Formats: sequence, C-alpha cells, structure tokens
Amino acid sequence: MKRYAYFPGCASESTAKSTTLANEFVFGALGIDLIEIEDWNCCGATSAHTLSDTVGLALPARPLAQAEEEWPDLDIVTGCASCYARLKVTNHRVRTDKEARFIVEKVLGKPYEAKREVLNFLDILSGEDERKAVENALLRRFKNLKVACYYGCLNVRPAELTGVEDRENPQAMDELAALTGAEPVDWGFKSECCGAAHQNDAAFETRPLAARIIENARACGADIILTACPMCQLNLEMRQSEYIRKREDKLRGKPSFPLFSMVLPPDPNETIPVLSITELLAIAMGAGGRRLELDAHFVPVGNVISKAFRDENESEVFI
Amino acid sequence: MTEHETLNELMEKADVRQYDCYQCGKCSGGCPMSDAMDFGPRGLMRCAQVGSLGRILNSDTIWLCTGCHACVERCPHDVNVPALIEEARYEAMRRGIKRHDSDVLNKTFVSSVRTFGRNHEMLLAGLYNVFAMKPIQDMASVPHMMKKKLINPLLKPIHGTSEVAELIERAERWDK
Repeated sequence: MKRYAYFPGCASESTAKSTTLANEFVFGALGIDLIEIEDWNCCGATSAHTLSDTVGLALPARPLAQAEEEWPDLDIVTGCASCYARLKVTNHRVRTDKEARFIVEKVLGKPYEAKREVLNFLDILSGEDERKAVENALLRRFKNLKVACYYGCLNVRPAELTGVEDRENPQAMDELAALTGAEPVDWGFKSECCGAAHQNDAAFETRPLAARIIENARACGADIILTACPMCQLNLEMRQSEYIRKREDKLRGKPSFPLFSMVLPPDPNETIPVLSITELLAIAMGAGGRRLELDAHFVPVGNVISKAFRDENESEVFI
Repeated sequence: MTEHETLNELMEKADVRQYDCYQCGKCSGGCPMSDAMDFGPRGLMRCAQVGSLGRILNSDTIWLCTGCHACVERCPHDVNVPALIEEARYEAMRRGIKRHDSDVLNKTFVSSVRTFGRNHEMLLAGLYNVFAMKPIQDMASVPHMMKKKLINPLLKPIHGTSEVAELIERAERWDK
C-alpha cells in the first residue's frame, strides 16, 4: 500500500469541503494511504511571501520539517495548487540555495533538508500504476459529458518546479477525465490565471479574468469545468452569477448595479457547473451526491451529472 | 545608495539581467493583467533598462501582478519578471509607497495565521471588507456559505499557534 504525508490546506476545512470528501473517497478506493501531517499550519499562500520572503519560506517549512522528522521516507501531497506552489518553492530553495537553507533552519530552529518531493493529486493519479487502479475502481461511466479541464497557473508553472511537459496545453487531467468516459474539450484557457487572491483586493481588474475562462469553456461546448485547485474553484464558481448578470446587463444596454447583479440568480442556462477532478472520479467510483455534499456547490451540479450516466438506471440512484 | 545601485541590487537578488530582455513583448501579450496595469511586464523591463526605479516602485504594475508566471513561461530568454516584481514590492514597502490595498489583505491574512495558525477565511474576508471599505463585496455569497457550512465562524486555533506566531516573528526580525 502506497503512503503519503498529507497537507490538506486551509480550504479543506471550509470552502473546499466537497472536494476534500472526494479526495478522501478516491484515495480510499485506490488503497492509497494519506497520513495527515499533525497540527499543520497555513502555508502563507500568496500573502506571506508578498510581504516578506523569509516569512514566505518559514511558514511552509514548519509542516515540511515535521513531515520529514516523523516520516522521512514519505513524499508530501497536497490538494491545493497554492499550497503546492508554496511547499514546492520552499523545498526547491532549501535544496538549491545554501543561504535560503541556512535562514530556514535558523528561523525554524531545527534541521530541514528537503529530502522528499512535494506532489499534487494530478502528479500521483497520472502515474502508470495509479491510472490502472483508477480504471479498475470505476463503477459507472459517463456519456456525452463534455468537460473543460482547467489546471490553473500554479499546478503547471513555474516549469522548473512542476516539471509539467507542455505548460500551454497540459494533459494529465484530460487523460484522467477521459477514463471516466467524459469527453475533454480542446480549449484555450487551460492554464490562464483566474485572478487568485486578487479577486478580493483588485476585484474590478480581476473579475474579467475569471469571466473569460468561463466564457471560453462555454464557447468550446463544455458542460462542466473541472479544476484541481480550491482557489480556482471558488473564483470560477462563487462569482459566476455576478459575471453573468453583468454581461446580461451589458447586452441589454442597461447600467449594471453591483448589488443587483450579486443578489439575483442568473439564467440557469447560462451558468456552468464547476467540479474538481477528484469529485468527478469519486462520482464515477460510485460516490453519491449526498456523500460528497455536492449541494454545497454554488452552481447546482446534480442535473448535469445525473443526465450524463451511460447507464440510465444510475441517474435514478444518484442524489 | 544611489537609485541606480538600488535597482542593480534588486535585479541581482531577483537574478534578472536587464539586457537579457530584447523587448519582444511576448510577456505583455500573455499577461492576464496587462490591460489593467499602467505598464505591462515589457514596460517594466524597459524601465529597468533605462534605470527608472522610481517609475517601477510607483506603478500599479507591481501590485496587480498575480504571480501566474505566464510571462517567464513564454519569454524566449527566461527573464524572471515575477521575481523582479517581488523584489520591487519589498523595496516599495520599505519606502512606504502605498498604491494599492493588496497589502491590507496580505497583512490581515498574516495576522489571521498568527492568531489561528491557519487562514480564518471568514474573518479575513470580513476584516478586509471593513479595512478596505468595500462592505458589500462578495456578501451575496454569505448566506449560501453559512447554510452549507462552507465557512466556519468558530474555527479553532491549532495547538502550535504560539509556535507559528513566534516563527513569523523570528522571520520578520530576520528581514530587518
């Protein structure tokens, strides 16, 4: 049985609840053991390293050093692209930059050698054995379900950290989605930025970033968008009604009232559900909508999924 | 230290050489934020080439960068613009230049980590909306999030909270 030290990330306790349930379901079904790093702390996300380089290195180093101390032979895995980037940067800098290692060990007060790798779920699931295990664990398949796989920036870039071969047109998630019978569409915004934390502090400037991603996915005929990052997920989903309302207002030539566009639900034909890749895999592996708490999604997903099963009897069972 | 020397020091820390850039513009073409910035990554490199540190530090560009690395990815000479932007942000903060309220979000975020050891998303969004005077931003999503328990108002601090707070303090002291 394969084992990994698991860094869930802060979103796992709040906005990424259904994704976290799905992660646990998928890895349980594959027989991969995720051992949560005890008393892990926040990696600092985009904020800590923007304020100070040393704080940005020190925060991820604490859980990493702890994992190294307790399970020196386990790689670290995380379900969040931002955590992945921060842990990976710290790991990489400690390995390659002697000064950075000195600072980290000094500030941390204990040795840290960065012996093991930091991985994300896509890295693990696209391994040869794991892909076979996924195929064997699938209990039901989809048909006529077009998916747009959205990787986000930090799962693919910077290249020297992630090791993804084709950063403009990554394939790992498309291949996984295709295993379930879903059809990945070719589209242009696979690794475009969604605005990340700037959706809070530069809302006016970054709203169009996420809107473009949603519109391109729709234009390419996707029924759902798949993500591999809780932050992307939230940005594409939570503010979707706001973008669509604004666009509707624009088309009608009426001025848009921010409060109005936020509160009124948009035309359901215009919205596009956003799921994480592990949620799609978990559903195909037999998890029910209640078990995954799919109703926690801002954009309802139940209808699209239940219509898309290859075996029609499955639709009645689902949710 | 003269402006020129400071700029050279920033470039060195970021491991960027200004004449690696031949102004092809692939970075600005691919930058998702370039139309909101006062100049894109190519303009930033031009400022660095002509030694205009002041324009860099007083720009919105360094605060609007999302750090997506699309520019480095597409750069034919691997000029690491985000690293330079990060160094420029530190320098702007040292000089107390305030152009944007992203530092309000960042400071609130780090205080939340200091108090809870983790990111208290609800407190972060709430306090940010108060400090940045944007009371209605994203508030329409709150009822759904509360109903589905997507945000947890009663997040418990982790056991090692004081350890994390001390870690942040030591790291901040190291910078000074």
